[in-house]
Amino acid sequence: MKTLIIILLLTILQMTVSGQTVISGIVTTAEGNLPGANVYLEGTYDGVSTNANGEFSFKTQKKGKMMLKASFVGFETFTKEIELNGSPIHVEIRLTEAFNKLEAVTITAGTFEASDKKRANILTPLDMITTAGAVGDVYGALQTLPGTTTNGESGKLFVKGGDSEESQTYIDGSLVYTPYSSSAPNMSVRGRFNPFMFKGTIFSTGGYSAEYGQALSSVLLLNTNDMPVEDQLDLSFMTVGLGVAGTRLWKTGAVTASLSYNNLAPYMWVVPQNYNWVDYPSNTEGAVSLRQKTGKTGMLKLYSSYTSSKYTITQEDLNHAGKYNDYNLENGNYFVNTSWKSNLGEKWTIAIAASFTNNNDNIAYDTLNFKKQLRGTHIKNVMSYPFSNKFTIRFGAELFSKTYSQQYITVANSIGSHFTNTTSVAFAEAEVYASSKFVTRIGTRFEYSGYLQRANAAPRISAAYKVSKNAQISAAYGWFYQDPINDYLLYTSYLKFERADHYTLSFQQSQNDRTVRTEIYYKNYSGLAKLNSEAFYLPGSYTNTGSGYAKGVDIFWRDKKTIKNGDYWVSYSYIDTKRNYRNYPETAVPGFSSTHNFAAVYKHWFGSLRSYVSLNYKYSSPRVYNNPNSQVFNGEHTKPYRSTDVSWSFLLKQNVIIYAAVTNVFGYKQDYGNSYATIPDAEGVYRSAPIVPGADRFFLLACFITLSKKGEANQVDKIE
Amino acid sequence: MKTILISIVLIFSTLTGISQSNEFAGAMGEALGQFANCKSISDYQAAGNRFSLIAGTEKKEWLPYYYHSFCYIMMSFMEPGDAAKKDSYLDEAEKSFTKMIELAPKESEIYALQSMFYSARLVVNPMERGQKYSALSAQAVGMALGLDATNPRAKFIKLRNDMGSAQFFGRDAKEYCPDAEELLASWDTYKVKSPLYPNWGKDQVATIVNECKAGK
Repeated sequence: MKTLIIILLLTILQMTVSGQTVISGIVTTAEGNLPGANVYLEGTYDGVSTNANGEFSFKTQKKGKMMLKASFVGFETFTKEIELNGSPIHVEIRLTEAFNKLEAVTITAGTFEASDKKRANILTPLDMITTAGAVGDVYGALQTLPGTTTNGESGKLFVKGGDSEESQTYIDGSLVYTPYSSSAPNMSVRGRFNPFMFKGTIFSTGGYSAEYGQALSSVLLLNTNDMPVEDQLDLSFMTVGLGVAGTRLWKTGAVTASLSYNNLAPYMWVVPQNYNWVDYPSNTEGAVSLRQKTGKTGMLKLYSSYTSSKYTITQEDLNHAGKYNDYNLENGNYFVNTSWKSNLGEKWTIAIAASFTNNNDNIAYDTLNFKKQLRGTHIKNVMSYPFSNKFTIRFGAELFSKTYSQQYITVANSIGSHFTNTTSVAFAEAEVYASSKFVTRIGTRFEYSGYLQRANAAPRISAAYKVSKNAQISAAYGWFYQDPINDYLLYTSYLKFERADHYTLSFQQSQNDRTVRTEIYYKNYSGLAKLNSEAFYLPGSYTNTGSGYAKGVDIFWRDKKTIKNGDYWVSYSYIDTKRNYRNYPETAVPGFSSTHNFAAVYKHWFGSLRSYVSLNYKYSSPRVYNNPNSQVFNGEHTKPYRSTDVSWSFLLKQNVIIYAAVTNVFGYKQDYGNSYATIPDAEGVYRSAPIVPGADRFFLLACFITLSKKGEANQVDKIE
Repeated sequence: MKTILISIVLIFSTLTGISQSNEFAGAMGEALGQFANCKSISDYQAAGNRFSLIAGTEKKEWLPYYYHSFCYIMMSFMEPGDAAKKDSYLDEAEKSFTKMIELAPKESEIYALQSMFYSARLVVNPMERGQKYSALSAQAVGMALGLDATNPRAKFIKLRNDMGSAQFFGRDAKEYCPDAEELLASWDTYKVKSPLYPNWGKDQVATIVNECKAGK
């Protein structure tokens, strides 16, 4: 028995003390030897880092079969089974680069993304806010990007030869039916949403995914902020109004309630205006935003707002010489947007989004009353499943429903018309990475309109290839459908979808905070709705016989490197476009398009002054407009558009920001063409009046204060 | 005889048990020695590798994750220019935070370090990230002090944040000198739970106090 115990003890002793195994070798990658890699035996403390030459050597007491591992950030972990028996082991390890979606090639054809998620992005959320001239308007900031044309008398987005109705805005996946404020004809509008609500923006000027439809030219995808960081109270004092917002957090959610009142009267008493105001523009807005985490991965968001705005202006009645009429506008806009995103199990993700809009415009002009109402609902469900990290499918279903009604009330009678269109949609899309250098996205979208009683199928394909570490080419092709405009659908349902085909090829190179991007595109329009007679109320007046094209080149250059604390971008676009649509008698250059568009934006941080200064210059070549007194359609030309804008943000204290901005500093006289009488006067001449902006310059002075327990949260994100 | 055998086996198994926890302490002690002598990115990389190895073996201990992320935060601070690289180091550090918060959700030291981590994110691009990450950093250090109001590292990080923002906003950071002196004087009264627990920071506070005295 004793012997047995001794043998046992000896064995144990031997097990712990006997023969070490020396493991040595070298770790390499495609780019050479790799220092600093972690080489170790799985589940033990035995291991070592590779030296400056990528070599390693360590000893282990362990015996038998074990897993040798080698790891390094950004590379796939290497695993090899080895047999430890005392004799030295030499291993040559080759690490391959891990597939990382954030660093892999991305489809950039037609797309400008502003977020801090991907490092390769051209723009950041802050850019959307600090661009001078935009004065806190999302759409204003986008108009410094190539592919857009500034229409000062509109303020809306005009993209690559497309009309403003061809662009759609989505918030957290669901459609915004009325993204712009309401306004009288030829008066500029702004976006309804504060750019600080959003953590990321994707602006696609063509070739976008099958997930988005009902847009012939572009989509703007806005993603709202996640959870706020702390309880706070925000106060804003501006030359045009006041606002207050309070945020309250709980463990898994937060609520923000805000109220603002704007009135331009005091401002317009001081600064001379080109318009004759009777009631100065004013608006009141109340909004509530809710965030709630659901489960481990889910997030529910709800945003609800009501805005009431009004003004009255006096305009000359061009049909009656010397007669002036009041134009009174009252707008009420109710908007709800909600979304829920979550993982379902290990791999599935689900995103449900819904929005509801009820927009009422009440217009009184001369003796006429005119009421417009738009009620829109959008519901969407998207599922996605990654078969691997290189192959993902996404599919979903959507329902759009909108009811649009108009009513003319004169002294004598009242004429009303309305329509309801419900569109059902299904889409599916696959994204395939052949490698981290090559990606393809293929998808199709099916739509059925209940009102038009028509269906469409829209294939989309795009791809990107990384030609070098920092450069890539990207291409996109697709069909895009949209309903004809609401004003036509009021009188007829015998119309088809309008269609645009996009071909886009782009090249992008980013290196050391410098980015260059060029894009060429061709767009073919077909089936555009036309109004062929003066009798707009007759369904037979409308056909889908319109068509058109747009082709052009966009160039973008951004440099954050060359000037210390400075950052600038320059964009240029050339657009060649013609179309025959709406009431055009022939194919012509449309009035919203400029051949040459140029924008330069410069921003500088003055650390010692705690100031962020932005300066920008925009130029658009002359646009055309139609003079009914001339034989030539769209034969008149405006002067070019020019504007130099400055803004200055100053951090007075941690929680106090002072902001000042001036647009069109040099007071350049903008020319937006003429508006004309609809009937000729006694001499047979259509009388005219020039279309001008509300004022040559716009000044804004604002102060934003954040109060929180710690006094540490400032409000750079409230500049408007 | 059987009893002897059983007792031998029992003794042996306790021995190995002890040696296992000793092995953790030994490995940590060795790695901490390496960590204390780190001077360059590659030093921290090697130390970080050690801690990641220990973390992978001892799945219940938050300390290896703590030091692992500490190493990567230091690497990000030391990386001279490449913003993408700084962020990729911090991405590594972030993974460890997720793990250690799961293991020890009420540990003050973790949030103190997390505050430093958010400051490191901020430093990569102060203009873009200033607002978001200064708030997150303040929140994390608040949490650390909420869990343990006496934690000197949390106090130090808060002090440094406050001095930084005072400088930024053109105020005299000297108003915090008495706080720094007090912190230094009371530093050793804080009892570190075990030799493996975080115990850094005194030197940094001493540097601040010296700068205060030199009138900087």
